[in-house]
Amino acid sequence: MVPLALLGVLAALLAGCGAGAGDKPAGTRLTVTQDFGARAAKRLDAPKVSGSETVMRLLQRNAKVTTRFGGGFVQSIDGVAGGRSGGRPFDWFYYVNGVEASEGAAATRLHPGDRVWWDRHDWGAAQRVPAVVGSFPEPFLHGIGGRRLPVRIECVDVEAPACRMVFERLAGLGVPAARGGLRTAQTEQTLRVLVGPWIQVRADRAFGPVEEGPGRSGVFARPSPDGRRIATLDARGRTARTLGPGTGLIAAAREGDAPPVWAVTGTDAAGVAAAAGQFTERALERRFALAVTGGRPVALPEAAAR
Amino acid sequence: MIYRRAASPLHAARAAAGGLYCVALAACALSFQHPLVLGAVIAAAAGAGLGAGAGREVLAAARFTVPLALLVALVNPLVIHEGLTVFFRLGDIPPFGPVDLTVEALVYGLLLGVRVIAVALCCALFVAAVDPDETLRLFRRVSFRSALTAALAARLMPVLARDARRMADARACRPGGSDSRAGRVAVLRAVATTALDRAVDVAATLEVRGYGAHTAVRRAADPWSRHDLAFTAAAAFVAALTIVARLAGVGDFAAYPSLSAPAGAAELALAAALVAVALLPFADRRGIER
Repeated sequence: MVPLALLGVLAALLAGCGAGAGDKPAGTRLTVTQDFGARAAKRLDAPKVSGSETVMRLLQRNAKVTTRFGGGFVQSIDGVAGGRSGGRPFDWFYYVNGVEASEGAAATRLHPGDRVWWDRHDWGAAQRVPAVVGSFPEPFLHGIGGRRLPVRIECVDVEAPACRMVFERLAGLGVPAARGGLRTAQTEQTLRVLVGPWIQVRADRAFGPVEEGPGRSGVFARPSPDGRRIATLDARGRTARTLGPGTGLIAAAREGDAPPVWAVTGTDAAGVAAAAGQFTERALERRFALAVTGGRPVALPEAAAR
Repeated sequence: MIYRRAASPLHAARAAAGGLYCVALAACALSFQHPLVLGAVIAAAAGAGLGAGAGREVLAAARFTVPLALLVALVNPLVIHEGLTVFFRLGDIPPFGPVDLTVEALVYGLLLGVRVIAVALCCALFVAAVDPDETLRLFRRVSFRSALTAALAARLMPVLARDARRMADARACRPGGSDSRAGRVAVLRAVATTALDRAVDVAATLEVRGYGAHTAVRRAADPWSRHDLAFTAAAAFVAALTIVARLAGVGDFAAYPSLSAPAGAAELALAAALVAVALLPFADRRGIER
């Protein structure tokens, strides 16, 4: 009987049981924004955190929160509530290391280094935005769900300056990455960065739905099938403007539960190079996706239709 | 637990006043989660029980309710995972995800348990000190059939209890006595077997006494006694205190995400006022042998 009891205690400990709150997840960051990151409400580089933290507890510890559905979902943060505004549906969504959560915040465990981003936005055009680029250098640095994943940079031309630039930026952040051609390796449970013109990148399954609009892909840009133009969209999914040659795009997409795939792409080589030039934490911070035109970054979705 | 007429201000008050008094205290317990206010209601109900000479009955009710209250306190942290202060981690349990026991959920569960005890005490006070016949007569005006059914049930239970006592006495005279489990089961079986017969007896008795008559027997309206007025006023004050305090935010309590139970002068005053108002009618012991 005693060995059985000891076995039970051991199994419980291995299953994550224990008295007290456990170790604090260090190095976390909490960002709260509105309108797809356009309006910053709060950014805490060292938020108050305790052991056994969930995304919900982290938020409640650092902001005034009201919840619904038994405390599992957030209704308002610091007095800003979800609901309907101007006939449009708004709600709070959260991303951990740039990946949209598939479950309630109370059920999502926080891990060391996680960047948690809450954004209240209009979800009328896209009910889901599976992956965003605004938590860069996550998920490359600390991975997803507390598990760091291998990184592979897939370039149309491995020797192109854009490919090298992306590789060096990641290397500079301490992210070891492999380099190779597009779709030349079996890459399950790998974070991939595709670098090349859209006409080649579009063949990747993760980016296939992008041309069908944000309702399917969560990316508020719609490249033309020939890759020569990229239409930037506003929060309602309407075309804000159509950009021609030399336009770059940095976006993240996700196929099912697979790790997100990033694209540093453009209408042509110049566009790809322009996008690679913006592959920095500063340029990508709080962006769902980023277009680059005339050397200047444009946050996506665009603020309003022109 | 059954009603026994005793010499106390609450027994001397009419059922409407006594009932209102108990309901007001119970409503107060249901309106607040603040531990200080719940404690005040428990103190008031226990004090009223002692003042009414029904301390033993009220204490018995509390004793029966404590296990239920403890159960509520223990179950709450297992099913509610809100709260910021984790004191035990049960790990990831599909499909619930991370299950952490929090201090906030435990305290909230304890307060739910305390509230259960407070309401049970008020109910016990009502049963022990408010005349059930008079109460049923009040409801006769509202629903004749329901009042008759309730009267039958209310009258039947004491009859069955007396039958059980007599049978247990008889059983005690036989070898084996009635203290054994088999003896108690035998008494229970005999009481249950005769319950229908006894119900018919009770119904017949009630009919003879005029309970079955559709036409209400008009009684001369009794003048309001000082105890009627005192307990009605106490009930009104307790209700008013409850409403005003809730509107003013006094005695507010929040368990999640972190415990917030302000215990300032306002909360202390509210608790003290509740106890004082509830116990004041017991100070006047004139004319309690009604």
